[in-house]
Amino acid sequence: MAQLGWQEKWTLRFAVVGLLFLALAGFEGLLMRTQQYDLEALVPMEGVLNTVRMGAEPTQEELYFSMMSAHPIVGIYGFVYMAIMGAFYFLVPYLVGKGVRYKKLVPLNFALQPIGVLICWAAGFFGMFSALYTLYWPLPVSYDRVPLLSSVVFMIGAAIIMVNILLFAFNLFSTVLSKNNPHSYSFWGFLRSAFGINRLMKWLGREDKGAPNLDHDGLPVFLVAVGRGSIDTVINAFVLLTAGVLILVYGLAALFNSPLDPLAVNALVYKNWFWWGLDMVADGNVLIYTAGIWYLLIPLLVGRELFGAKVVKTVIMVDLLVSMGVWSHHLLADTRQPTWMKLLSGQFITWGEFFTMGLTIFASLMTIWLARPVKMTPALKFVLASIFGFIMGGTAGLIQANTGLNMVFHNTQWVIALHAHTFLLTAVSSLVFAVLYALVPMLTKKEFRYPQLVNPHLWIWVLGAVLNAYAMGMAGSQGMLRRTIYEGGVFQGYVAAALVGGVLMGVGLILFLVNVIATLGLGEVIGLFIPDRWRRQEKAAPARA
Amino acid sequence: MDKEERRWLFVLIAVFLVFNAFTLSPLIPWQGWLLWSRPEPSQRFAIHAEDYRFELPPGGIEFGAGEYVEFVATSGDVTYGFGAFRPDGTLVFQMQVLPGMENRMIWRFDEPGSYDVRSTEYSGPRHSEMYVPGAIRVIP
Repeated sequence: MAQLGWQEKWTLRFAVVGLLFLALAGFEGLLMRTQQYDLEALVPMEGVLNTVRMGAEPTQEELYFSMMSAHPIVGIYGFVYMAIMGAFYFLVPYLVGKGVRYKKLVPLNFALQPIGVLICWAAGFFGMFSALYTLYWPLPVSYDRVPLLSSVVFMIGAAIIMVNILLFAFNLFSTVLSKNNPHSYSFWGFLRSAFGINRLMKWLGREDKGAPNLDHDGLPVFLVAVGRGSIDTVINAFVLLTAGVLILVYGLAALFNSPLDPLAVNALVYKNWFWWGLDMVADGNVLIYTAGIWYLLIPLLVGRELFGAKVVKTVIMVDLLVSMGVWSHHLLADTRQPTWMKLLSGQFITWGEFFTMGLTIFASLMTIWLARPVKMTPALKFVLASIFGFIMGGTAGLIQANTGLNMVFHNTQWVIALHAHTFLLTAVSSLVFAVLYALVPMLTKKEFRYPQLVNPHLWIWVLGAVLNAYAMGMAGSQGMLRRTIYEGGVFQGYVAAALVGGVLMGVGLILFLVNVIATLGLGEVIGLFIPDRWRRQEKAAPARA
Repeated sequence: MDKEERRWLFVLIAVFLVFNAFTLSPLIPWQGWLLWSRPEPSQRFAIHAEDYRFELPPGGIEFGAGEYVEFVATSGDVTYGFGAFRPDGTLVFQMQVLPGMENRMIWRFDEPGSYDVRSTEYSGPRHSEMYVPGAIRVIP
């Protein structure tokens, strides 16, 4: 393998740890699906694990829901965010043409993210924290059902993750905005550009028409997407941090025997605030980052400039504005949420994503179509799989984000399977695989060792993800609730089919990991995590001998 | 914007208009009374949820098919859900039950029979226990 540079090495480190978190999240998913099929199925295994858990023996329900609380943290903040950090810490400096602004923050981000994730995971595994990631008030501070200490520990882990994401976003912005390059952008200029204010002012004739327009003259489209998506990232991290601090304050007060009144916080106001922030991930940065990566990768892979480049920059801006106003689709079953908010924010503004993603996918597919004949590289195949995932998951999302249809879909398996897991597994994960198939040869100057494993990886992964989502989505359409344990064999057929889908995804991931390790070499993969000075000493020692 | 993009945008607009017009109309039956007619209910039923249990009205929940009735749900501790299910497990309607406020839903059952009640929102590890078979009886 070619001598790796500083940035290349960090990107690979983030990628490897991210993939390990994907494997952990997948394993958790299989365990939970097994319990969903038969709640007692894991009793022997849990009996062994209980020997390392302190305190009373937990019930199967406590084990199931505490795993469910940790699962999205591992999947989203462990796998997806580590992959994003690794990719963006390479691509942003590469496209801006300068190094990362604060290099010391890169290893700090690399350390803090897994630490935060593992603290949250430990709060579930050891402490039975089971308030789920949605943290509906006042469940996380109801210590008759959620263990007090585990609630405090989980919030500390979550706070570390959120602070780390803020540091990451700060470093990205600083890299783009730093002055030591030919393109210099002020912070406010960047923000004005991100929200399209200077374009609007120009259009209204109220600003100097010669003023720099960062959208069209300055930044590559990928960086526009990273910039706009990162605004959502910052808001998400900030809002979740405030919720975490609130829960932490209640936890510490209870810990010191001065409990606070949970009803002092209005549950509906809290829910609006929390979902406004949380949705910045699902309906903000995921969509915008994805669009940016498609816009970067597809032209590179097919050797043709992006179709409709000027329009897509506007589309990204609209996506940012849309993401600020869609959160009410999570509150369509709340009768106290005003009807006008359900209709406007929950339904109509949410449909804004239909337009932005519709145009994004159209631009991406047109670029490929106009570049025919194209070589179906591994990265391009997975890009197409991710587009398919966004179409499938997005359609399911629009059906449930509807004041009428939500009545029978809200909180069913439809929401979490056909919408959320299709997004995460078929769409986002396929995109991460596409990025890795493109980046690994770029970083290491080596082609993948077993190209014959790419198609099995693609088809087994996608078939598994679709089977998993479709089976549970159909169960949801029959009334199967999420976060509910059914007894007596109800819905077992759907659960069994989803379990097969989960196993298929596991096989697909193993094929990919085998290919990555064979390409890089097991020693090199392990060597990524050995500090450079130790490796230099290792190499120098035989010479001295 | 290119010609192809404009055409595609028109397709998207058409799908948006057709889908939303359909789902906001009384063609989705409950939209008729939830969004448009707002009828006066003939009966009100108070449901209280606390400590993983539903407290239903002492006389039970019984009314005639085709009547508009109102369910008023409250919670004494955490957020729950109140969902009515057919015997085959499919959902009829649901609402979130937030603590510290009255959560109201007007509904009309057209099919006589008995319906189950289940909490549709996670409220802690014992949440799945909140299941009351045959809690709602709709008479012809």
